[in-house]
Amino acid sequence: MSPIPPTALNQDAAVAIPATVTSPRFRFLRSPALRKPATIGGLALLLIFVLMALLASHLEPYNPTVKSGPIYAPPSGAHLLGTDDSGADMLSLVIAGSRVSLIVGFAAALVAMIIGGAVGLLSGFFGGKTDMVLMRITDYVLVIPDIPLMIIVAALFGRRLLNIIIIIGAIYWTSTARLVRAQVKSVRERTYVKRVRAVGAGNTRLIGRHILPQVAPLLIANTVLTVAVAIFAETYITFLGLGDPSLISWGKLIENSFKGDAVLNHAWWAIVAPGVCVTLVVLACTMVGQAMEDALNPRLRVGHLSVRRFRLRSLNTGLSSE
Amino acid sequence: MRSADYVVKRILFAIVTVFVAITLNFVLFRAVPGDAVSALRCRNCTVAFKEIQRRELGLDKSKWEQYRLYVTHLLRGDFGRSLRTEQPVLGELWAPIANTMPMITLGTVFSIVIGILAGVISAWRRDTLLDKTGLYTALGFYSMPTQWLGLLMVFFVAGAIGFPTSGIRDPTLGILVPASAGTVIVDRLRHMALPALTLGLSLYGEYALITRSAMLETLGEDYVLTARAKGLKNLPIVWAHGFRNALLPIITLIALSLGTIIAGAITVEYVFSYPGIGLATVEAIDQRDWPVLQAIFLLLTVSVIVFNLIADLLYVKLDPRVVDQ
Amino acid sequence: MSGALLQVEDLNVWFELEGRPELHAVQGIDFDLSQGERLGLVGESGCGKTTAILAVMGLLPPTASVAGRVRLDGDDIFEDGEDSIRPHRWRDIAMVFQGAMNAFNPVRRIVDQIVEPMELHEIAEGKAARRQAGDLLELVGISAQQATRYPHEFSGGMRQRAAIAMALACNPRVLLADEPTTALDVMIQAQVLELLGRLTEELGLALVLVTHDLPVVAQTCDRAAVMYAGKIVESGTTDDLYHSPRHPYTRLLFSATPDLYGEGDVISIPGTPPRLDREVTGCSFAPRCDVAFGPCSSVTPESLSVAPGHQARCHLNDPTMRRAS
Repeated sequence: MSPIPPTALNQDAAVAIPATVTSPRFRFLRSPALRKPATIGGLALLLIFVLMALLASHLEPYNPTVKSGPIYAPPSGAHLLGTDDSGADMLSLVIAGSRVSLIVGFAAALVAMIIGGAVGLLSGFFGGKTDMVLMRITDYVLVIPDIPLMIIVAALFGRRLLNIIIIIGAIYWTSTARLVRAQVKSVRERTYVKRVRAVGAGNTRLIGRHILPQVAPLLIANTVLTVAVAIFAETYITFLGLGDPSLISWGKLIENSFKGDAVLNHAWWAIVAPGVCVTLVVLACTMVGQAMEDALNPRLRVGHLSVRRFRLRSLNTGLSSE
Repeated sequence: MRSADYVVKRILFAIVTVFVAITLNFVLFRAVPGDAVSALRCRNCTVAFKEIQRRELGLDKSKWEQYRLYVTHLLRGDFGRSLRTEQPVLGELWAPIANTMPMITLGTVFSIVIGILAGVISAWRRDTLLDKTGLYTALGFYSMPTQWLGLLMVFFVAGAIGFPTSGIRDPTLGILVPASAGTVIVDRLRHMALPALTLGLSLYGEYALITRSAMLETLGEDYVLTARAKGLKNLPIVWAHGFRNALLPIITLIALSLGTIIAGAITVEYVFSYPGIGLATVEAIDQRDWPVLQAIFLLLTVSVIVFNLIADLLYVKLDPRVVDQ
Repeated sequence: MSGALLQVEDLNVWFELEGRPELHAVQGIDFDLSQGERLGLVGESGCGKTTAILAVMGLLPPTASVAGRVRLDGDDIFEDGEDSIRPHRWRDIAMVFQGAMNAFNPVRRIVDQIVEPMELHEIAEGKAARRQAGDLLELVGISAQQATRYPHEFSGGMRQRAAIAMALACNPRVLLADEPTTALDVMIQAQVLELLGRLTEELGLALVLVTHDLPVVAQTCDRAAVMYAGKIVESGTTDDLYHSPRHPYTRLLFSATPDLYGEGDVISIPGTPPRLDREVTGCSFAPRCDVAFGPCSSVTPESLSVAPGHQARCHLNDPTMRRAS
């Protein structure tokens, strides 16, 4: 499944950041979009999972690679999330799995960010032929169905973790590229950039000092959204048997439950736990990434229509009558 | 007018992309470490057999020669033979395609209709409880891995409503008594129901979110104020001005999401053992049946290209500004 | 004036702001409009003039609350809020918006958008309506054959004129024009103004022309009202305001206009208008006034009649105030 971050699709329409955001680049941090309880919740969730991944070996109650209880035992005091089809503790498995899942997520998103960022930067900055060629390539990459491609490449080239990370990154850079390109184009047109150029600044300096800092926040926001996509993709590949067989990840756990007939054994705990984790992380990334993009691209729209009607006030008391 | 030019341009682009896809397909599969036949897993594969296969697949010729052969065969509709069954690939794929089409259509229509409805309602009742509930439900389903959702369905839903969870037909149907067309259709539909529902639920979130966001955008435009000033009531405005203009990004999304639909279909068919193209893909991978895999991949890519073309042409009809860009 | 077509009495508008006190954007304005009369509503940007006319048609967003009375032929159309206003929209009062460029829906043809209110208010439909739309376009100087084009195919000036044609679709008796000439080049400005003038004469239309551009008022309007910080500070004939202003703001405003022959000095008014989210004691113009005296900063001036049909809101016109200081 490749959830395309919704705003990325509007990029060709909603191209430029409004001129109001010429302020210091971190002003967006004060935006109300980032203060919404949903965003803070999302951030907190992410933090919890990242900590879980970092401290995994300390948090696991049992060694997840060995049998520590009966097969498919339901949740109990000894095993809070029950055991899987080989008797290993589910909770430990889930905690251990967080590491690989998050690493793949962040690493692949990083790869996508680098490729997409570079393509977008070059395309937007140089325009003309470079732009045309790069955008054509982007179009072709977009057309190829992502999961089938990943499946095939994984099948052809082996199931190592590194391969998975590179494949995912190499497919999902396109929306980042478009976004960065639009941003770079709009920044390039700003007068102060033209002035700096007139003074004779070279291209590298221009990009490094002036354009990149303006583009960076949006790039990071988009990368957060890509993390969600990457984690998703990993669960897909692993589910179809193409994941690294020696590593535990949430995707692998879901696959195990399927292969190990968890359904037949009524072992709902083996199914629910890893899936909930993936869902929560993806949800959290989506909300945080979305909130960041909203904060950077404020849509100061007043809705002209509403359910609430025209409000009349009586003059003397100044009280609303609706 | 100039729209004819635009149409021609887009069709040409589609054709070129198809050729790029064919080439990519070729390159990908020829780039396998070791060659296609050496990794073959099948029962009667002696070394001699593999040699025969090799010659038949033309693997002993130069790369350019192979490419030429590949393309000419394709244009004749010859996708090669399955390494597993030794039958022509295309023949093997008709049945799975016929199984997948209705299931995907069901699921996709469901997701589009529910998604757009949810999005419009959310945008219309912006910031109310209805909006927030709709939004989080959509986000929730959108964040769930499809296979996981499928497993949950199998576990919690299937038993409860008594729907089958695998295959496409009841094996006992028609054995004792001849089955009427009606019963057969109902049986098929019952088998399709859960996979389609899972697919639909997985997909609708995206449509809901984009519809909501597009509607919010259009409802804030000046022409909506004009419509209100003309004395139009809210509902006609939402429909004729809000929704009509929001259709553009929505259609773009639908066209671009064919890739997602395909991915979802593969997973769903695997979980529900539904004998469609998705399951065929997984089986082909399992058995390293490269010709089949190659053909499926090409078919999927071409489908995406065709869909994008249709969306492009639709877009021209919907947005008159496109042509003059 | 009891025979007036449109009477606005004590119109107030407040805007809710998130986490901040309300913004009192329009603070009790009154004006009358008779058939065929051309009233200019003048002031700096942010003085509330656009908000005021939007309020008259009930077109403010839900964050606004409105108080006051708007009488059309003596009946208060504000009585039941949205329900009592809607039937009058476009039929009796129509509006040409600021930036009419965007007032058109980009994906629908011009003719359809002119016909839309005709069919809504049952003035005409189908072919007859389209023919009338063509006639309206001819009236504003656009060939009827252009009617089937899309908004983006019109130039800015043409769109503005088309917006005027659209506003006339239902034969309204009052036309509210909000900055119809801003963002147009001078030649087109002249055309549009001339058009508006002609229409009021030929059709007996009553016009409220909102603008910050004084020469426009002088050229097109018979009477004018000057707004400052949400209040009308002076109203009278354009002659009165130009030659014998009785409010310092009016005087400064009219003299701040560069004289084409370069004979007078250009004086711009120093300072900025007051914030509208706070109560102001005394006259809101006092801080920027060059002739402010004693009571100005503590007593809010009432609107006084300084001559028939000429009112001003300034203590300088009040002999009692001057004696007391």
